[in-house]
Amino acid sequence: MITGEGIVKTFKQRGNVLGAREVRALRGVDFAIPKGGAASFIGESGCGKTTLGRIIAGLETYDAGELTVDGLAMSALKPKQRQPHFRKIQLIHQDPYSALNPTRTIHQTLNAPLTLRAKQTGRSKAWIEERAAEVLSLVGLDPGSVLARYPHQLSGGMRQRVVIARALTVDPEMLVADEAVSMIDVSLRLGILALLKDLRERLGVAVLFITHDVATSRYIGDDGELYVIYRGQVVERGPVDTVIADPVHPYTQSLLSAIPVLHGLERPGEQPVAPVESMEDGQDESGCLFAPRCPFRGERCGERPLLQVTEGIAQEHACFYPERRSVVARPMSEV
Amino acid sequence: MPGQAPGVRIDGLTVVYKTPAGELPAVRDVSLRLEPGTITGIVGESGSGKSTLALSLLNAVQPPGRIAAGSVDIDGLGDVVGLRGEELRKARGRHVGYVFQAAQNSLNPLKTVGKQVLDLGRSHGVEDLRGLVRDAKELLGRMGLDGARVLDSHQHELSGGMRQRVGIMLALVLNAHLVVLDEPTTALDMITQANILKIVREVHAERGLTTLVITHDIGVVAEVADRLAVMYGGRLVEQGPTRQVLGDPRHPYTKGLIRAIPRLTGDISEARALPGRPPTLATVPERGCVFRDRCELRMDVCETDDPAATAHGDRIVACHAVKVREHA
Amino acid sequence: MSSAILETTSTAATMRRNFWRGVWRVMKRKPSRLVGAVIVLGFAFMGVFGPMFYPDVLPRDTSRLYAPMSAEHWFGTDGQGRDVLAQVITGSRYVLLSALVTAVITVVLGTAIGLFSGFKRGRWDTVLMRLTDMKLTIPGLPLLLVLSTVWSFGSAIEMGLLLGLLGWGGVARAVRSQTLSLRERGFIEAARGLGLSTTHIVGKELLPSMAPYIAMNMLIAVTGAVYAQVGLFFLGVLPYEADNWGVMLNLSVFGGGALTTTAALPYMLAPLLAILLLTLGIVLVVDAMDEIFNPRLREE
Repeated sequence: MITGEGIVKTFKQRGNVLGAREVRALRGVDFAIPKGGAASFIGESGCGKTTLGRIIAGLETYDAGELTVDGLAMSALKPKQRQPHFRKIQLIHQDPYSALNPTRTIHQTLNAPLTLRAKQTGRSKAWIEERAAEVLSLVGLDPGSVLARYPHQLSGGMRQRVVIARALTVDPEMLVADEAVSMIDVSLRLGILALLKDLRERLGVAVLFITHDVATSRYIGDDGELYVIYRGQVVERGPVDTVIADPVHPYTQSLLSAIPVLHGLERPGEQPVAPVESMEDGQDESGCLFAPRCPFRGERCGERPLLQVTEGIAQEHACFYPERRSVVARPMSEV
Repeated sequence: MPGQAPGVRIDGLTVVYKTPAGELPAVRDVSLRLEPGTITGIVGESGSGKSTLALSLLNAVQPPGRIAAGSVDIDGLGDVVGLRGEELRKARGRHVGYVFQAAQNSLNPLKTVGKQVLDLGRSHGVEDLRGLVRDAKELLGRMGLDGARVLDSHQHELSGGMRQRVGIMLALVLNAHLVVLDEPTTALDMITQANILKIVREVHAERGLTTLVITHDIGVVAEVADRLAVMYGGRLVEQGPTRQVLGDPRHPYTKGLIRAIPRLTGDISEARALPGRPPTLATVPERGCVFRDRCELRMDVCETDDPAATAHGDRIVACHAVKVREHA
Repeated sequence: MSSAILETTSTAATMRRNFWRGVWRVMKRKPSRLVGAVIVLGFAFMGVFGPMFYPDVLPRDTSRLYAPMSAEHWFGTDGQGRDVLAQVITGSRYVLLSALVTAVITVVLGTAIGLFSGFKRGRWDTVLMRLTDMKLTIPGLPLLLVLSTVWSFGSAIEMGLLLGLLGWGGVARAVRSQTLSLRERGFIEAARGLGLSTTHIVGKELLPSMAPYIAMNMLIAVTGAVYAQVGLFFLGVLPYEADNWGVMLNLSVFGGGALTTTAALPYMLAPLLAILLLTLGIVLVVDAMDEIFNPRLREE
């Protein structure tokens, strides 16, 4: 179980002579991902979802709040002590091209972490070889034909599978997939998504999916939770299919309305929401963060709404005027 | 201004690239018609040859590539493949506007947008530069931007969506009526993408353009295009009216591609990835159908004969299996 | 089980074999590279074995001072009647050995400091880079001139050591910036996330990615070192203790008047030609480095 409570992260950008500019990447984010569970963080670039993923994988520190891994508070530990816990959380990079060392064969890439593990657990060299072949088989690659190759000899999809195999060498508890399919050919994306789902089912690995493409988050399991993040704040949170079918926060609705409709196959939603556009998108720091772009803003929006539960709505949301709107396209066959 | 939208006829176009293994075709024997005033979308994965095809429209294929055969006939310009030097340079910009892939990053970082508009005007011998800037301002205003302010800005002061709009403005400001957009929304956020697509549609209609959109994302084409052409391994495998192709794909690749798109609603268990991987320049088979290795309908004839593009009403499909079925 | 172990060792051997086969393929791709390699190997051979073919003290032929080029004396003779070619060959050991020492020290020190600085960042980085800046601002030649008054450079190793200690600044800066950009790459981050040791990350992930860069620097450092010491000897500030290309140049110009008369011209041209040829050889070989260390370019 991995949880976060009120995680805050502020980046200081080197500014001009007048001083540094602060960028508030995360403004107190709560989340909980159970063992073997699934969650998706969705939002646009710069919303803080990637930073949150990196914090969870131990690659970035946080300024306030607490991250707990299996009940252990990470801020109470020294960096050296934290390391074995963060090893259980493996990040799958967006770019499978830079995630593998071009000068090392797949065999070398997999052997390094396995050798370390063999040393720690007193296993033999033969175990390393067996395990390397095993993790490759787990991700649907043929060890015989892949091991001796260099990354450049593999396609993007195969590389991403190798990256996942490498993460599996340390028996992780959770995989954090940051836009893991966005650089992969369209016809092969579902293969990687299906693999992540399959690993969840077979190995009980939890999957955290970080993406701007809401549709892909459905494919890692229907028991997953969706977190919609806007400017460092979770604005809506609930079961994947509930949030997609019945979004209540205007930002979620804008995001879902923006997804292209496959005319001919699908019929667009009846109440699409288009956010107000401004030259300075999202600079305002007071009140509801989405209010400057919100077509439905009301009197109370000068205050900052917190994630809350209201009657008759299945998911949590951070909006004073939540209202269900039908924004998502439906298949022709359903209508 | 309206009524000038040119038609384009691409016939038997073959573009080859010189590699250590000899000259390999990136685009092979492609024929495509862009009707005046329509938006055509070309969809393909990496290595399908879609960007090469787009460059051929301007005769702008760079060495080691070259147009080996075929013609690109544009109304008012003639066969572009025969154009050279100064004529060609004039045609680009005046007749054909091109919005490059990652147009967000193709602005000059050292000059304001306004200066770049002036540069463009001077290099095309525009006499009324004042009028050109006025047009630029108007176009930017039409796309929902504060024109004066954007013209005074440097690239780094603009967001990705704004730069993309500047790219579209630069393609249109010389009054081109044929516009090519290469991956117009890649690397943009969903909401920005939706805005840009809306602008593309509106500007297309208002200015009376013929538009070609190149993308890997079927969703983008579905939103804007009247006609859809699907490329695979340098071949055009299927084309037709967008709604028809999406609603009832004929070619097994189109079918597979549509089935492989993650969808927001509907039964997710129906979706599945295509087996195998898309071919690269080096792995495209020399003879026979380019898609046969991943095809569930493959027959013996697919090994030896490249299927010809055959018209079925409004649709053109290049597949042996479909042909057999249509005639059965 | 044992077969599996056998398999590992054999894959390692196969990979080594594949590497050298790849190197051969890269070299064959352009004939100029082979020419460069032959030149460089030729110089190495000359430095190691050349002096063995001649007596310790070269014979003088006082009847033939500044003799012109002939079949007997290919590059003529010097002011004392000694064969010029023989001098170039016997002198090469000092020049090449000290250049090699310089190159090794420059690259080892520069790479180590650059890697450490770039990988650790923070305080260590600041301290080391200030040190490098300081070192880079000290003008090398005047310092050498001063040093030469108190230090006699009879030994090639001492010479190389000194030039090396003066020369690592540039490499350190370059390696540091490479390290800084590489450490942000996905595979370095992944290695840290997997809990791999710093030794592994630096030695097995970072260094190989920089190998072409380091190899190029090393080769270029050799030419740099040759210029530096030949220049020093040419200026004549050092005692003429060793037979040396620089000393030859000095004697031909200031003793033989090679710049004004033609008699001593071959005496001056011979060492210059040697330097030129060595530089050419190295430049031609450097061209292949990128492809040798990049598996993608190597295989294609």
